[in-house]
Amino acid sequence: MKNSLGREIPEKIAGRVLRPFEGAFATTPTGRKAARPQKFIGPNENKVLHSIEEAIEATGLKSGMTVSFHHAFRNGDYLVNMVVDACARMGINDLRLFPTALFPVHEPVIDHIKSGVVTRIEGSMNGPIGAFVSQGGKLAQPGILRSHGGRWRAVEAGDVHIDVAFIAAAQADPYGNANGIYGKTPCGPISYSAIDAQYAEKTVVVTNDLAPYPAYPFEIQQGWTDYVVVVDEIGDPNSIASGTLQITRSPTRLKIARLAAAAVKASGCIVDGFSFQGGAGGISLAATKYVGEEMARAEIVGSFAIGGVTKYLVDILHKGLLRVILNGQAFDLAAIESMRHDQNHVLMDPGHYANYDSRGCSTYMLDAAFLGATEVDLDFNVNVNTHSDGQLLHGIGGHQEVAAGAKLTLITVPTLRGRLPVIVDSVTTVTTPGEVIDVIVTERGIAINPRREDLKERFVAAGLPVRELAEMKTEADRLTRPPRKPVFGDEVIALIEWRDGTVIDVVRRVEGWQ
Amino acid sequence: MSEQFVVGSASKGDCIVQVTRSSKTAVKIETGNEALFIEGLHAVVEETLAALGSPKVSVDVEERGALDYVIRARVEAAVRSVLSDVVPWKTGAMRPGNARDRLRRTRLYAPGNNPRLLVGMELHGADCVLLDLEDSVLLAEKFAARILVKHLLAAVDFPEVWVRINPLATYGRDDLAEVMLPAPHGICLPKAESAADVVELADELTRLEKDLGIDPGSTFIMPIIETGKGVLHAEQVASASERVVIIAFGAEDYTRDVGARRTQDALLYARSRIVAACASAGIQASDTVYADVDDEAGLIAETEHIRDLGFVGKGAINPRQVEPIHSVFRPTDEEIDMARKIISIAQKAEKEGIGAVAIGGKMIDKPVFERAVRTIALADLMKGGWR
Repeated sequence: MKNSLGREIPEKIAGRVLRPFEGAFATTPTGRKAARPQKFIGPNENKVLHSIEEAIEATGLKSGMTVSFHHAFRNGDYLVNMVVDACARMGINDLRLFPTALFPVHEPVIDHIKSGVVTRIEGSMNGPIGAFVSQGGKLAQPGILRSHGGRWRAVEAGDVHIDVAFIAAAQADPYGNANGIYGKTPCGPISYSAIDAQYAEKTVVVTNDLAPYPAYPFEIQQGWTDYVVVVDEIGDPNSIASGTLQITRSPTRLKIARLAAAAVKASGCIVDGFSFQGGAGGISLAATKYVGEEMARAEIVGSFAIGGVTKYLVDILHKGLLRVILNGQAFDLAAIESMRHDQNHVLMDPGHYANYDSRGCSTYMLDAAFLGATEVDLDFNVNVNTHSDGQLLHGIGGHQEVAAGAKLTLITVPTLRGRLPVIVDSVTTVTTPGEVIDVIVTERGIAINPRREDLKERFVAAGLPVRELAEMKTEADRLTRPPRKPVFGDEVIALIEWRDGTVIDVVRRVEGWQ
Repeated sequence: MSEQFVVGSASKGDCIVQVTRSSKTAVKIETGNEALFIEGLHAVVEETLAALGSPKVSVDVEERGALDYVIRARVEAAVRSVLSDVVPWKTGAMRPGNARDRLRRTRLYAPGNNPRLLVGMELHGADCVLLDLEDSVLLAEKFAARILVKHLLAAVDFPEVWVRINPLATYGRDDLAEVMLPAPHGICLPKAESAADVVELADELTRLEKDLGIDPGSTFIMPIIETGKGVLHAEQVASASERVVIIAFGAEDYTRDVGARRTQDALLYARSRIVAACASAGIQASDTVYADVDDEAGLIAETEHIRDLGFVGKGAINPRQVEPIHSVFRPTDEEIDMARKIISIAQKAEKEGIGAVAIGGKMIDKPVFERAVRTIALADLMKGGWR
């Protein structure tokens, strides 16, 4: 069957009947939430264990079960490998991994896929695991990629039942309160796992820094936690959060960022109460800084910003240009430091900011947002998941929810990455539909979605270089011979869910070249 | 001529091309993503070899995100290094026309042999882009650089593009023979010190224009004055040829030449003399570059200073400097109001046949009127403050 974007979606995959994407806000959730069983842990019971193996035994983790993780330790995470290695040693196999995201550090998982310890993955597969799955590595079922809010929704709705949630914590107390802000290796918010902790059959907090009771903030709460495991090391501090992310020096990227900030200004939303989403990618970081400068020039106080929080967003807060930062993810030490001291720097979980099946999302309150893309097409559809050669590359992150929510969504991309054109006729994979993208900003100008004709007059009046997307594409295409296009077979290697659980696209295996 | 030659670098946006004499033509290409790019890369290399008369060479390419014009340039440079009898690729002439008096607030320098820094140079809003074959290019790379600049000119449209060649006494003639094929808007002549220097270049351009079928006299000259002698001869340099539409001042070499420190006082005489010389010849004067890219406040202060001296523009060494320089040349609201008043009074006077009119006790003569028209044109161009 075809979904509303014309993408061919199988009726059924691995026994699951697929719902095709119908539109950004087309579906209405039904039914009730899928809760975990009740349980009583009384006074004087000990939750502290001293090894992953002990936890595996205590939780009753068996072959065929689902284990979940978060990615706040990013490429410095040790926990996924520790748990999967332990399962392998203990003869447990056929696991379904349900991480928020896997990183290059999790490359050892590939051997566990080959040996059958891991047979299914639902979560972002950044780097080698994505490449492995793309290039013929067999999972028993296609991978499933969900956005931050989409993953939260899937757990709440019972689409995914977690048997054991393993939650890496920078700090935890013996009673199971845990956070990512303090401790020996702080990583920023770990609230991605708040939904896992509340819905998993068993919840295990793993920390390298056991603090006296009570450890707070209560990102993960004692009432959700079955066990606390203390380990020597939880992650490599050098790969968790950066010192200070550097703003790009590329003139092309800086120009895109400057144009994007000018577009936000021209749209007229930089007034008191302005809200925006800052990012940590090369161009977004610079755009965030430039927007801060526009706010200062306009002498306004914004209401809130959400992140990817970095030093640059924190600077805007400290200058008094912003009332609140809502932090779902901290990318550098300055952001984490600020969370400890700034009363107006508030923790936020993905359910709060992004969950479709809910009574409200922070992203719906956003005036403007900057997002990236690996490809954009002439219908303004955006791909962040696959490379132009068809390889699975990145997760969705919060792309869908921010784009769907913000009143002005800007995609900031160069028209060329080396020899590779970024504007294409039709994206390899749709992550986010054109209907929620307002403008695409490149070094060659600003393209406005025909749905947003209202912006055109404002942009032109501000002297901004408004261009047709097709025109910019032609200009860029003139500079390189077109790359070959992959020919896809029938085999589906991954599903891309829209944030409401419908299927917006599938990734098929590359079988040849045009 | 050696048997083998290597051109290019491993930096992003470039490629390394190695050409060897061979009994038959063979092409080998390495790229970061073979599936996507190998076919297109072969097509570019083969097209280049065909344009060079299908020489018998083996070509090895290691590609690092290079655009087609970079690959063409690297292959051509390597082939011609090995085989001296290969005729240069005659890329088309592409300059339809040239305007003497266009706005030249910025001349943005780009090093001629660095693809990473050349890419996108046309997109930063600079009034003139200046592709450099002189100081920013190592001696060993002069040959590859002029071929790269040729292919860049043929592939990309610039609002106005100039090539700074080496002095004619060194490699300037070789530079011209190559870069005039795609006909840039103008040629920058470094270390111009006399009318004879300019005439020598003008004659060479006349000859090349004739050979290449370019409109005679259509290639402009921008002499760069950067020595004590050049400053003293500014007047004869400015009026040496109809081709000279602008003079640029080079303060780094000038201070070294005269033994001055780089203070505004030390440069004042040279700057004012150049401005006066240009005014007397009816051409534009453009100031030297500001070297500290991170010091935007300093750049703006110096640009205000030279604007007040009479310069119409300034050199930029990084795209980031373009907007701050332009902002200095943007008319203020008061200036725009005054210009509008002047124009309306003058037009009314003309309609009513009144001879002399004044505003605030000042005569509106022809220069005042023309300045007002220029102010309004500039304000329209810079509307909204983006460019």
